[in-house]
Amino acid sequence: MARSNFDPSIPDLAGSLRAPGVSCFEGAPAALALVGVSKAYGAGPTRVPVLHDISLNIPAGGLVAIVGPSGSGKSTLLNLIGLLDQPDSGEIRLDGQRVAFRSAAEAARLRNRMIGFVFQSFQLLPRLTAWENVALPLLYRGVPRAERRVRALAMLESVDLADRVDHRPSALSGGQCQRVALARALIGEPRLILADEPTGSLDTATGATVMDLLRDLNRRLGTTIVMVTHDPDLAARCNALIEIRDGRIRTQREEAT
Amino acid sequence: MTTNAAPTALFVEALDNLKGQGRRSLLALLGVVIGSGAIVALLNLGHMAQLETLKRFRQTGVDMLQVVAQPTGAEPVGLDLGALKAAAASEPGVVRVTPLATARLPVRAGARQIDAMVAAVPPAMAEVAGLRAATGRLLGPIDDCGAAALVGARLANDLSGPGAALAPGALITVGDYGFTVVGLLRPVPMEALSPVDYDQAVVIPLACARRVAGPDPTAALIRLRLEADPEAVGRRLTTRLSRPGLSVQVRDARAMIRAMNAQAAVHSRLLTAIGAISLLVGGIGVMNVMLMTVMERRREIGLRAAIGATPGDIRLMFLIEGVVLSLSGGALGAALGVAATAMIARMSGWTFDLALWVLPLGPGMAAVVGLIFSLYPAITASRVHPIEALRAD
Repeated sequence: MARSNFDPSIPDLAGSLRAPGVSCFEGAPAALALVGVSKAYGAGPTRVPVLHDISLNIPAGGLVAIVGPSGSGKSTLLNLIGLLDQPDSGEIRLDGQRVAFRSAAEAARLRNRMIGFVFQSFQLLPRLTAWENVALPLLYRGVPRAERRVRALAMLESVDLADRVDHRPSALSGGQCQRVALARALIGEPRLILADEPTGSLDTATGATVMDLLRDLNRRLGTTIVMVTHDPDLAARCNALIEIRDGRIRTQREEAT
Repeated sequence: MTTNAAPTALFVEALDNLKGQGRRSLLALLGVVIGSGAIVALLNLGHMAQLETLKRFRQTGVDMLQVVAQPTGAEPVGLDLGALKAAAASEPGVVRVTPLATARLPVRAGARQIDAMVAAVPPAMAEVAGLRAATGRLLGPIDDCGAAALVGARLANDLSGPGAALAPGALITVGDYGFTVVGLLRPVPMEALSPVDYDQAVVIPLACARRVAGPDPTAALIRLRLEADPEAVGRRLTTRLSRPGLSVQVRDARAMIRAMNAQAAVHSRLLTAIGAISLLVGGIGVMNVMLMTVMERRREIGLRAAIGATPGDIRLMFLIEGVVLSLSGGALGAALGVAATAMIARMSGWTFDLALWVLPLGPGMAAVVGLIFSLYPAITASRVHPIEALRAD
């Protein structure tokens, strides 16, 4: 790839995305960078291009919203960022390191160490209790059970669910489920949280609480957060906004913090 | 196989997953249960049959020849006692010859009459066949032909009327002759080489055989020295004792044990094959359950993959689930198999005995079957793509 981080066509959000107490400057290593990434699904005559030559930088400590109409490619973009899928061309850099996608196992390892996922439908395992759900990423890091429990309990306490640790998801409200899911995304201390419509299944008030938690997390720990959302209010509460349309970055906006 | 999680942790995880679907899985496991049960039951039955075989040689021992003569025509011809003694004397391997004569005759005691085996034996037979008196006495040289008789345990019971139990001193009629019962026999286990089932027989002195059963002994038990070759002795005796109108057969204990074992082996091989086929069918059941599980838990698989489970982690988790599932079915089958042998032993009057080495074989084979038949579902699970799985709402 001939392109670099300084290519003028790459929207560089680093300069204006300042979390309090975090100093960002032009050219600082991005938490995440996409360079000339394209992705299509299908093959032959039915091949559908989804993303065209996308390049972007998401700086460490950013709180970025990705918006766009249905079918614009934003979910595909999130899957690529989340290392759940690999680009047809272009490269993805995590912490300045090119992701090689050498094997499914290696991608799983990277996801486990670097990325926390929050889904619209929570994706909690119904048979597991709240703490077991939260501890799941540590299982795939070889952490012993006793330690998994201790860390999961601490995590649940930080999302105000200390009294629900042994409840199964069916006994929790939507907001509580999403907080459990948030605790699960955080337990591995990832550099990056990817949230796909995190408030999409919640009512406005509960959604606002979850968003507050995300913002607080971004401020206090400096965790980079990228979220896909339809909700303009939610997007407005992020530091930066990337609008995708027809597989291309159409606009980007930076909010003053 | 690259795994991020510790295998022991995946094992605990698999057990937790299985808890959720116990009953349904158990139904699908029926094949494995039956297969494992059949294998355990059949191997243990084989073990018990062998014990039973040995039991039937406990009294006579394995250094014994049985000579049985059957007239080929209408003439009641028997063994020539003189020829038998001469033949035995010329065989250095022979320790002792115990001739006897048998016949089926009506036996009457009071109002009851039963067709029974009548065995005319020399006094020495008591020791050879292990006869002991429950009441009264055994036959001795004193009886010569004194019209004294012993009655077997079951026959005595059958000949007893209500309030008139057959006891020593009673008079019975055997054929056309009257005998005095001098003793009742204790139950004797049926011996393989014994031509008589003493429990259901009347025993009279051999010297009286002429009266009721015909002129000559019809059979003989011949004790050999340990080093004698039973087959060679048997062949020579057959030639020397055969005469016109008489067919003589000699059987030796070792050959009989060999034949019994060979037959048991054929049976157990056949039945083990049936067990193996059940296990195979059971394995397909396991594969079915596991494939269904994988399909139902696509989202779970996708989620696990998203948060860091490698394909190896997922494969291993489902393999463990399949093996543990089959193993539990196998253990249940083993328990049922042991219960079945206990029941069969009860019904056929055998002594129940459990060969411990048999126990792990059923569950062990079930586990192997579980492993093999879970491979495909486990690989299918490890190929589930997280995005597609998580999208399925």
